[in-house]
Amino acid sequence: MELLNEIFIEPFVLMADIPDLFVQTIWEGFVSGILYALIALGFVLIFKASGVFNFAQGIMVVFAALALVSLSQFMPAWIALILTIGIMALLAIGIERAVLRPLVGQDDAILLMATIGLTLFLQGVGETVFGGEPKAMVTEELGLPTGSTDWSPFEGWRVTLQHIDVAAVVIATLMVIGLAIFFSKTRIGRALRAVADDHTAALSVGISLNQIWAIVWFAAGIVALVTGIMWGARSDVSFALEVIALKALAVLILGGFTSIPGAIVGGLIIGIGEKVFEVYWGGIFGGGVEAWFAYVLALIFLLFRPQGLFGEKIIERV
Amino acid sequence: MTAHDITLHAPDDGIAEGAELLRVDDVTLRFGGVTAIEDVSFNINKGEIRAIIGPNGAGKTSMLNVINGFYHPQEGTITFRGEKRRAMKTYEAAASGIARTFQNVALFTGMSTLDNIMSGRSLKMNKSFLAQMIYFGPARDEEIEHRRKVEEIIDFLEIAHIRRQPVGKLPYGLQKRVELGRALALEPDLLLLDEPMAGMNLEEKEDMSRFIIEVNETFGTTIALIEHDMGVVMDLADRVVVLDYGKKIADGAPAEVQANQAVIDAYLGVPH
Repeated sequence: MELLNEIFIEPFVLMADIPDLFVQTIWEGFVSGILYALIALGFVLIFKASGVFNFAQGIMVVFAALALVSLSQFMPAWIALILTIGIMALLAIGIERAVLRPLVGQDDAILLMATIGLTLFLQGVGETVFGGEPKAMVTEELGLPTGSTDWSPFEGWRVTLQHIDVAAVVIATLMVIGLAIFFSKTRIGRALRAVADDHTAALSVGISLNQIWAIVWFAAGIVALVTGIMWGARSDVSFALEVIALKALAVLILGGFTSIPGAIVGGLIIGIGEKVFEVYWGGIFGGGVEAWFAYVLALIFLLFRPQGLFGEKIIERV
Repeated sequence: MTAHDITLHAPDDGIAEGAELLRVDDVTLRFGGVTAIEDVSFNINKGEIRAIIGPNGAGKTSMLNVINGFYHPQEGTITFRGEKRRAMKTYEAAASGIARTFQNVALFTGMSTLDNIMSGRSLKMNKSFLAQMIYFGPARDEEIEHRRKVEEIIDFLEIAHIRRQPVGKLPYGLQKRVELGRALALEPDLLLLDEPMAGMNLEEKEDMSRFIIEVNETFGTTIALIEHDMGVVMDLADRVVVLDYGKKIADGAPAEVQANQAVIDAYLGVPH
């Protein structure tokens, strides 16, 4: 009886009682959801264009953020930002040359293993060059807002909005719109979609797979950089970020591996879901729900809808 | 649209009508222990329609794949416009004017008819990446110019009514037509068609035959096609090469080939 009360009654009473806490919870979940979605977006870009499940997306986030922070010690932040973009471009070209090209046409599992190898490589290089200790993101130097505002739409409400969170949502939205326009309007976008649809046919019209792969890895690198900046600004920049990136896997299972809207919706569901669950139902499990909520949800999805919310249904002829 | 409105043309490559455009010499292609093509030589002349026929598994599609660089033969050479090489890169083949369609339609199913055909113009667009990315100024003008060519192809193939539809949902006959459109968008010198009429009804076959003849005559494009419908082959082709078990067994005018005993045996079998 006690348990049923805790599951079905108390949380809702609490929500109605302190509505501003509920709004605060949703907002915080929304912001982390956006960041999960960005990591998942990086996965989807690469998976669509090359069929490679890029396990290294998480470490790319850390690597980009670390590079930016470390370079900022020696130069103005905006020059460091440009240099970091350059590093991500070189990384993309290097990965295409050294990892993807020799493995063309190999089994998916082999390519996945290659990206795990890439993860270890980036981890090693990152630690050697930038050091393993956590660093503070150069938020102010980049012109990003800090501080917070209390928002009280109604008498007695108090919802705290961190300015960096608002900036993260705005920037993420702009980036997704930018990517959407790039994909639908430009020749390269068209070539990317062509490669995603059919490698052979794309080759036959003279689209260079190597070039396209370098471009998508670069795009994924930029997405990683933006994610790294935003996440680093909320906590700090360290290799622990990579663990958070693993949650993007759960996002992908929810949203489907090939769908950009899926990545966004999946990210939001997990971000908001885990926060709400933590705050209102976490007590039943003794807290710490946030750490596993995403994976349990993904597991349920795997049981009942393995292609995800938006993924293409796999129909196989038998 | 009448013929004189068409500005699409095979590139002027300086090769005279009827002179040799492409030659394969002693090509052998093996997959592990299986020999798909064995010591095959033939040529394709500028301006002709060349058919490649043979029973199932004769190596016809493999031959096309060798010509446009999907497969790299172990032995032999390919000479295109006088330039001899062992193997082409697919990208180079497309860039040097070889376009193709596939036996099992290979379209970009998520994209519209228009985008599918536009993707065939990829190689013709030269403006820099950056300009492309922001779709600005000269890149925009370029896009518009290519769009004009693509509209011409759409009119020519009579597929204006489906230009905005995603091709994955189109009936098979129309998909084949869109695929031909995408190949034409390269303004190819040599067009390789892998069973362009497969799975079509009579009316669709007649339409497709008409398009092939017009492409050949109006655009000046040389065509190599694989086809199983002998009626179509006899009507369309100037010359026919016959493969069986990876070997060339006959080569000549349609009537000649039809009367060739080796060809009849290959198709009907011989008593043992």
